Amino acid sequence: MSSILWQFPSRVFGNIRNSATLRVGRWARKRQGRDAATTTLRPGRVYILPTGVGLIFGLMVFAMLLGSMNYNNNLSFVLTFLLIGIGFVAMHQCQRNLVGLELTFAGTDPVFAGQSIQFRIAITNQSKSARYGIRIYHDKTESDVHDLQPGESKIFVLPVLTNRRGWVDLERFGIRTLFPFELFRSWAWLHMNLKGLVYPNPADHPPEPPPSRVAQGHRQHDARGEEDFAGLRKYNVGDSPRHVAWKAYARSGQLLSKQFAGADTSSQWFDFDDVPATDIEDRLSILTRWIVNADRTREDYGLRIAGRELPPAHGDTQRRQCLEAVALFDEESP
Amino acid sequence: MKAQPRGTDGSLLASLPWTIGALVVSLLPHIPFLAVWITAAFVACAIWRYTIEQRRRMLPSRWVRGGLALLCFLGVLATYSAISGVGPGSALLAIMAALKLLETRRRRDQFVLLFISIFLVMSSLLREQYLWSLPYLIISTLVILTAWLRMSAGKTETAKQSFTTGSRLLLYAAPLAIVMWVFFPRLASPFWSVPIDTSRATSGLSDTMSPGDISSLSMSDAVAFRVKFEGDIPESRDRYWRGLVMTSFTGRTWEGPKPSNGLRAEEQIAFRGEPVRYQVTLEPTQQRWIFAMDMPREWSLSRTDMGLQQQLYRTTPIEQRVAYEVVSYPNYVIQAQLPSRLRLSNTKIPLTSNQRTINLAREMRAAAGSDTAYVDAVLAKFHEEEYFYTLQPPALGKDPVDRFLFDTKQGFCEHYASAFAFMMRSAGIPSRIVLGYQGGEVNPVGGHLIVRQSDAHAWTEIWLERYGWYRVDPTAAVAPERIELGVQGATLDGIGASWGFSSHSQFLQDLKMTWDALDAKWNEWVLGYGPDNQKSFMEWLGMDDPNWRKMLLTLVISVVFLILLISGLMMLRYRVPRKDPAYILYRKFVAKTGLQQVVGETPQDFAARAAKDGRISPVAVGAVTLAYLDARYGAEKASSEEKLRTAVAALS
Repeated sequence: MSSILWQFPSRVFGNIRNSATLRVGRWARKRQGRDAATTTLRPGRVYILPTGVGLIFGLMVFAMLLGSMNYNNNLSFVLTFLLIGIGFVAMHQCQRNLVGLELTFAGTDPVFAGQSIQFRIAITNQSKSARYGIRIYHDKTESDVHDLQPGESKIFVLPVLTNRRGWVDLERFGIRTLFPFELFRSWAWLHMNLKGLVYPNPADHPPEPPPSRVAQGHRQHDARGEEDFAGLRKYNVGDSPRHVAWKAYARSGQLLSKQFAGADTSSQWFDFDDVPATDIEDRLSILTRWIVNADRTREDYGLRIAGRELPPAHGDTQRRQCLEAVALFDEESP
Repeated sequence: MKAQPRGTDGSLLASLPWTIGALVVSLLPHIPFLAVWITAAFVACAIWRYTIEQRRRMLPSRWVRGGLALLCFLGVLATYSAISGVGPGSALLAIMAALKLLETRRRRDQFVLLFISIFLVMSSLLREQYLWSLPYLIISTLVILTAWLRMSAGKTETAKQSFTTGSRLLLYAAPLAIVMWVFFPRLASPFWSVPIDTSRATSGLSDTMSPGDISSLSMSDAVAFRVKFEGDIPESRDRYWRGLVMTSFTGRTWEGPKPSNGLRAEEQIAFRGEPVRYQVTLEPTQQRWIFAMDMPREWSLSRTDMGLQQQLYRTTPIEQRVAYEVVSYPNYVIQAQLPSRLRLSNTKIPLTSNQRTINLAREMRAAAGSDTAYVDAVLAKFHEEEYFYTLQPPALGKDPVDRFLFDTKQGFCEHYASAFAFMMRSAGIPSRIVLGYQGGEVNPVGGHLIVRQSDAHAWTEIWLERYGWYRVDPTAAVAPERIELGVQGATLDGIGASWGFSSHSQFLQDLKMTWDALDAKWNEWVLGYGPDNQKSFMEWLGMDDPNWRKMLLTLVISVVFLILLISGLMMLRYRVPRKDPAYILYRKFVAKTGLQQVVGETPQDFAARAAKDGRISPVAVGAVTLAYLDARYGAEKASSEEKLRTAVAALS
């Protein structure tokens, strides 16, 4: 009973607050428009409100003003007015702490559904004064707090929980600061419409892949690991930019991809239609597990899904392409 | 449910010393007024808490804290027997701070501690205001602000940076504070009256006088009040500052009646001659007596009346420095006619003690023939016989008047006044004792008079036909220099010389006077900036007919103006210089590819696309991209930027 009474106001006010936040958020989106991948915060889009501590501070200063008036004590008037002045100055300082920061989307790495995907935002302090206590946030998750010295650029990592495969949209995220004194909270909303890719959650107990091995061959397990550089080959569309040999490219002008050791003769086809499950998501989940396992054992594997065919290969590129195809089954590409 | 105590993680190490420092700074002015155990408890808790944090120990359990809290609260109750007023209030704040320290686990708990230290600073200002109070206030605010910034500081913010930021913000806030201070309308009367500090000892005069009990008089240099005369400063021998009057004697102790203004006491006075106009700035005494030079006719202090013995008193104690203007008439006659009831009460003496004096008085009166001749004879006795003026007379024991007059013959003003009044009463002449101040020191720098606690004095008034109540100062008969030169002059020779009052060097004296003049101006214009001062200052600024509306309006306008100014300063400080040249060059390159950079696309991805697109040769794309990445994130920014410039320039 008491817990219901206790929760009642917070629930009601929580709802009111949520709907208000929603409305204000929509208004801000309409007002600000879509943001570019690199956005500098203008003063007009940095909002500010007092914090709880700020409200208590305000009450305290008001009480001090009454006391000073009552005792007609000129030095406590000085103290009171200094604190009021500090309040005003803190408000401006708090807003200025964000204005002029440059935010750039610095990419994200795909994760499996259920993991949290990490959006990386590079924030640059282009001014000659340090910025303190900056963090980015989305819903209830937030990044670590960082200071930015003059000219400094730091990567802020914003974790967002995922629950399903496909594209995850970060329609909006915020940047906020409580500096100085935590009397005010100033924040800005950014609508960069960031996207991150989420692979299906790999099935825990997958059935064995159907025997569709085209060629069997024995290969020695290479203890040096699959990331060992083996040579260069011509760049193919879809090769990971991470594997492009930029140095060689700058020298020769030829776009080359780095090849890694571990290529062998065994290969296997994973076919969406052959997965022993009825539900589509279950099938995708099983496929994901197969790909992950095959990648781990560094066998060649190919994938047939939704009319697409990825020829047998292995390595990071193959893994990424296959998982992407599975993740985006029936989804439009961005 | 039992709370599981956890060890501290040392996360407060950066901010805790500053928070404790802020508390110490704000507690400093309270220490002389706090019971010693409270200061000791605070210091112990502060050291304890810091050690806990440093060694990653556990905080004391809830039971220990609760027990301590109860103990301390009872201790405060026992020590102060009250919980309101500045004394017990600051004691409670100090205890709260000490106990709160012991349960400060999270960063945010320190907010409470900082708010407590702000209140401590405020209450110390309510208690005392000196010239150094303003520097103290600024320093303590700065320490509190720095502690505040330390509390929420990240890993890279150093204490020096916090201090600099705190100073800068305080500097921005200062003009705002000054404007608000000047223009905020001051109230003429308080909303409610709460005693500020009941626990504080009263300074100045006591309400009773027992000359035999005191064996030495304190020579406090503290200022009792300052006086600014409109014209010339009257001679020292005319500067009798009337305080309270005592009319009944027990044989040992003189006591005053409770002041009452049942009769219009002023109407009993006939004022004559030219008035003297002056302003008195009275330091707080916690008493009700108001001092004015004999004989005040008009005074500007509210709730102040003249009592039946022509003493001025206020209905509430003087808890804060007050300034008032007085018009006095040095020539006056009080009560030319004395009702027999009053004649009786003012000649009353206990007949069982001080027999020798009574007998002597009666003999001398009989020999003198008239009242005036008798007065002269008694004064001559003091002057001609071996009576000494000393601030360290021997204690007198039983029959103090007899002992003093016949045996010890050493005393200060109280002894002589008491003996003289007693002798007058013994001979049937109405007499009474007046306590107040006499003389005072002229400050040549400020042009005002300083009256110190050491100028406290007792004299007598006797009632004579036609003269009314007539002032007689028997001390003047013994030590005329006390009246002409003040206490220090009187004690320089004879016994007083061993008391240690050497004359100061001229330089020190000048320094002292300059400081006093500064203090007087500070009191008048800063501490005493009330409705009247404010009004005259507003008029000086050019405001016609100042009222609170106009002042508030001016306040708001100036504050808005200042805030705009500060906002502009900050904009300048945080302005973003022109874009990174590398970025501008890269945007040029992007434009030339004819492609759009997609959201989230890294320069590498874009390079791949641009190379495939083929409008620009892959070599050039690679060169630009590499140079750009190096210029932005690499080690040698300058040389890479140059490379980028050449690469972009080469793009036809």
